[in-house]
Amino acid sequence: MASRGGPQRPNGASQGKICQFKLVLLGESAVGKSSLVLRFVKGQFHEYQESTIGAAFLTQTVCLDDTTVKFEIWDTAGQERYHSLAPMYYRGAQAAIVVYDITNPDTFGRAKTWVKELQRQASPNIVIALAGNKADLASKRMVEFDEAQAYAEENSLLFMETSAKTAMNVNDIFLAIAKKLPKSETSGTPQPRQGVRLNNEQGGQQSEGGCCK
Amino acid sequence: MPVLGTAQFGVRTFYAASHPHDKCGANGLPVTPNSVKILGRFQCLTSLSHHRLCQYLDISKTKHECMIIVSEHHPQCLKEKLKSEGTFSEEQIVHTGFQILEGLVHLHDNNVTHRNLGLENVLLDQEGNVKLSEHGLYYMTDYGADVSFPIGLPRYMPPEVLCSGPVRVDDDSGKCIQPLSGPKADVWTFGILLLELILGQEMWSDLGINEKLQKILQFVKSDMSPFDILCQNNATAQKLQALSLEMRDVIRQCLIVSSSKRVKSGDLYQHPLFKAERAKAVPPKKDFTMCTTELRCENLELPTYEETIANEFSDDHLSQRNMQEVYYLWRLAGGDLESVLKKAGMSKTRPPVNLLPCFGILDGDVFGQDRDYAELLDNTVIKLNQEQLRHRLRDIPPRAYYPRLEDEAKQLDGQQLPTSPSCGELTTSATLPLIIRERDVEYQFHRIILYDRLLIAYPFKRAHIWREARVDIPPLVRANVWAALLEVEGDVQGAYDAIDKETPTATDRQIEVDIPRCHQYHELLSSPTAHGKFKRVLKAWVLSNFGHYVYWQGLDSLCAPFLALNFNNEAMAFACLSAFIPKYLHKFFLKDNSPVIQEYLAVFSHLIAFHDPELSNHLDGIGFIPDLYAIPWFLTMYAHVFPMHKIMHLWDTLLLGNSSLPLCIGVAILQQLRDRLLSFGFNECILLFSDMPEIDIERCVHDSIKIFCSTPKSATYRQHARAAKSRNVEERPNVSYYSRDYNEMPRTELSMEPIPMDELKGEKCPRISAEDLIELGELAGAGFSRSPTKKRQGSKPMIFIVDVRSQEDYRRGTIQGSINIPFQTAFSPEGELVPGPAVSTLNQKRSQVIVVLGNRGRSASNFANELVRLGYSRVCVLHKGIDVFRTTGLIIVPPADI
Ligand SMILES: Nc1nc2c(ncn2[C@@H]2O[C@H](COP(=O)(O)OP(=O)(O)OP(=O)(O)O)[C@@H](O)[C@H]2O)c(=O)[nH]1
Ligand SMILES: [Mg+2]
Repeated sequence: MASRGGPQRPNGASQGKICQFKLVLLGESAVGKSSLVLRFVKGQFHEYQESTIGAAFLTQTVCLDDTTVKFEIWDTAGQERYHSLAPMYYRGAQAAIVVYDITNPDTFGRAKTWVKELQRQASPNIVIALAGNKADLASKRMVEFDEAQAYAEENSLLFMETSAKTAMNVNDIFLAIAKKLPKSETSGTPQPRQGVRLNNEQGGQQSEGGCCK
Repeated sequence: MPVLGTAQFGVRTFYAASHPHDKCGANGLPVTPNSVKILGRFQCLTSLSHHRLCQYLDISKTKHECMIIVSEHHPQCLKEKLKSEGTFSEEQIVHTGFQILEGLVHLHDNNVTHRNLGLENVLLDQEGNVKLSEHGLYYMTDYGADVSFPIGLPRYMPPEVLCSGPVRVDDDSGKCIQPLSGPKADVWTFGILLLELILGQEMWSDLGINEKLQKILQFVKSDMSPFDILCQNNATAQKLQALSLEMRDVIRQCLIVSSSKRVKSGDLYQHPLFKAERAKAVPPKKDFTMCTTELRCENLELPTYEETIANEFSDDHLSQRNMQEVYYLWRLAGGDLESVLKKAGMSKTRPPVNLLPCFGILDGDVFGQDRDYAELLDNTVIKLNQEQLRHRLRDIPPRAYYPRLEDEAKQLDGQQLPTSPSCGELTTSATLPLIIRERDVEYQFHRIILYDRLLIAYPFKRAHIWREARVDIPPLVRANVWAALLEVEGDVQGAYDAIDKETPTATDRQIEVDIPRCHQYHELLSSPTAHGKFKRVLKAWVLSNFGHYVYWQGLDSLCAPFLALNFNNEAMAFACLSAFIPKYLHKFFLKDNSPVIQEYLAVFSHLIAFHDPELSNHLDGIGFIPDLYAIPWFLTMYAHVFPMHKIMHLWDTLLLGNSSLPLCIGVAILQQLRDRLLSFGFNECILLFSDMPEIDIERCVHDSIKIFCSTPKSATYRQHARAAKSRNVEERPNVSYYSRDYNEMPRTELSMEPIPMDELKGEKCPRISAEDLIELGELAGAGFSRSPTKKRQGSKPMIFIVDVRSQEDYRRGTIQGSINIPFQTAFSPEGELVPGPAVSTLNQKRSQVIVVLGNRGRSASNFANELVRLGYSRVCVLHKGIDVFRTTGLIIVPPADI
């Protein structure tokens, strides 16, 4: 059974820098995107997690050494039809987790398509992680670990197999992303929160950069 | 659904087999509890009505997988009658046997196998007529797979059941694989039952269970017919040989060892033995179907007061109401199943400490638990006392059971707000909060009786139903009332049956992953039966809209309320869904729906600014735009964001409104959360909506109606809304200015027209059409008016016109009653309105709708944007400016001195 521990907020000194990053989750419907976010943010797992329509937004903060990293997480709808909304969410994102379901090879194919799209359309220095979710269902596995890892290496993606149900690797994948994100002091003061820019039709390159101070 | 008559309500309980803790299905998620499976399968039994069957009424589950079943009950059963009378004459046996057979045939026609037939389960009503009971146990438990006790008494078991051994359940699917008894099993049992009636005692009553089973198995070993074997038995031979040839033939045909050779119940029904009975048999009453192309009223009989007092029930009018309704009222009158069971000592459970295992191993397997005897079947029936209900209804005058509809209809043509006719003095109740009204047994009684009559007269009484629905809709009749409001008509079942719901399609995967995530806290909707229905209804919708509309995630949520209400009537659920979507979500399910949604969201933004400029300014300022949170609201008409009981109340009103009402509901939700939203930044706002906060639905409904009524019709104009229907919509009462869709009105050059998207998004305020301005400003006589509005104070918004053109233009001609605040000079460099007499007048009229009138250019909308910025509410812009009035003769020269 899934353990339902409290939210995990790695403790640490928070006097250091505060960084805010926009992260987007992409992947076929029902691979467990919302479940991963829920596990990461609230430490919970709902068997009957509702499907996502449009997108959902959540935030979570993690501490890395002396840096506090605040994730603004956009969890998108997986159905192919909602594709046209996706750019609105990944535009300006500094990180993306592309999720597939290890028991369903089609979802892995779809994940690859997302990676390609991100490489073409998203900010050039976006950090992309690949998550093979539902790792608890090892007996039903249809996508081999090695195959996915090889693909991730080729495309310089972070890669982990995760399970929102057992919490395996869920915090880890977010932490790994946090570590990889640039926490330079270049971009000065944090930007005021602006929501998502919708009117910018071709704003793929709008680089907001890491907003650290 | 049969009427109550002299029936009682009986309650039985049994325990569903519980799964081992932590048991997961193939998807790694916990398996569906057996109790939920039973709950789903049970539902269709409630619509399996027949005068030889005890009507099933309700099921619920309590702790420890305990199921509570409520059904019709009669105190006498065949077993007792046999005991008291000793023997039956052959004539009596034929009579009773035939009635049992009638029940069985009906079950078998509906693919239900009784498998639990026996002397104890044949009840007799006051006239001594047969009512089979417990006929659904085998069906609802999936051939016994969901319970850990065997179903059926040993002496009635046909050989094939004994030979195939105990129930086996597939571990993955949780379904029964074997043995599945079919109708032929009941035929065998029927044969044994006849024998018992003939012999005047139970078969093999002196034998132990093993010996009984052996007796049955001996039949298998012999080549002789079991009947002939029994005829050789000294104890029974005499009685059996005295039987008529026909009776002997019937029993012989029932007791054929090979089930494939055994006679079918339907053929048995035609047997010469029952010739006389068949001739006397009354055909079962057909249940009322609301939507059909058959002649529904050919044999319609409405109970009348005179008739009822003339017959023997004389003053028991309640007995003429249908059982489901009486049971519903029984509960409202304080009936509580669990407390009834507790009183009867039926809900005893063993203290948990007694259930602990003796021994456990590290793998988690445990041993040495005693069998919990509570898990075995208990045949006790607890009768529900109807006294409390009758007491609560004692003051209701008999005539209230037979309301007349015509007089009230006339009375309602008047101007006053529609009231509930049959409840004259109940109007005070009608003003109580909905939650209280829904629990008030007397109030519900009146409403249900009234609706019952109205629905029988649907579609003829559509307008009246519509009016009543404006008061409220009793939960018991909601399914049909909604269908009536959605104008569902015709051969609903036939249309549904004609759609292929089985062939795999490309959408199947998405539908399959969405269903197990849709309203699954709802016990009924989480059952496998519901999932099957969900899938068929959704596939039917996708298929019947093929090439036109497609499945978007969210359609499942939209389907859920209709399915929950019409659980036993998929065709109706489908018909309602199919009628609902074009009305409220026209073009939303196009493959490329973004222009439609974008326009909808833009109009929504305008509406927020119109009603709450302060909130609008704040949300705009932090970039919290509707695109980020309102798509699931509108795409599912809030079905994705609210729990089922709230959707029911919300849609009760939604269905009465036109396609713009949902936008007003959105504004009402924002206003309910206003204080929080105003104090929140972007992140907090969006977090608030990622999990819909608690909303008071009744207040939300109330507010949205107010918002709706203070919005000019053309302000919510959308080019993608459904165009005028060709069919005449006059049947619906045109109660007010609002009851029709803007798009249903005739078009002229004074009407609204499509506005390009970027223009729409650039403006903060809605536009108003010239037509609407004339109408609301009462600028022309009634002859000019295109919408047949009844001129009543308070029935529509008041307007105030601000002409923002230059003073010269204004002097040359404007609209009656307007004031002039030229845009060029209106605002100070700080962005404030420059004070002056016109501005003072404007400030006095702040509660009215402010219509900004300009030329064709942008100045009017810019002016309006500024007003919103300054916090003026209810600002809108005249579409196409003053020019639109050139041909109307409504332009006047303003009095010189303003
Ligand atoms: N066994 C198992 N099931 C999971 C896991 N993660 C999610 N699920 C289940 O998979 C189903 C889909 O999960 P969601 O989180 O709704 O999937 P999603 O990717 O957000 O889907 P969309 O919102 O449609 O795009 C749910 O029933 C979850 O309970 C996991 O790690 N293991
Ligand atoms: Mg999701």
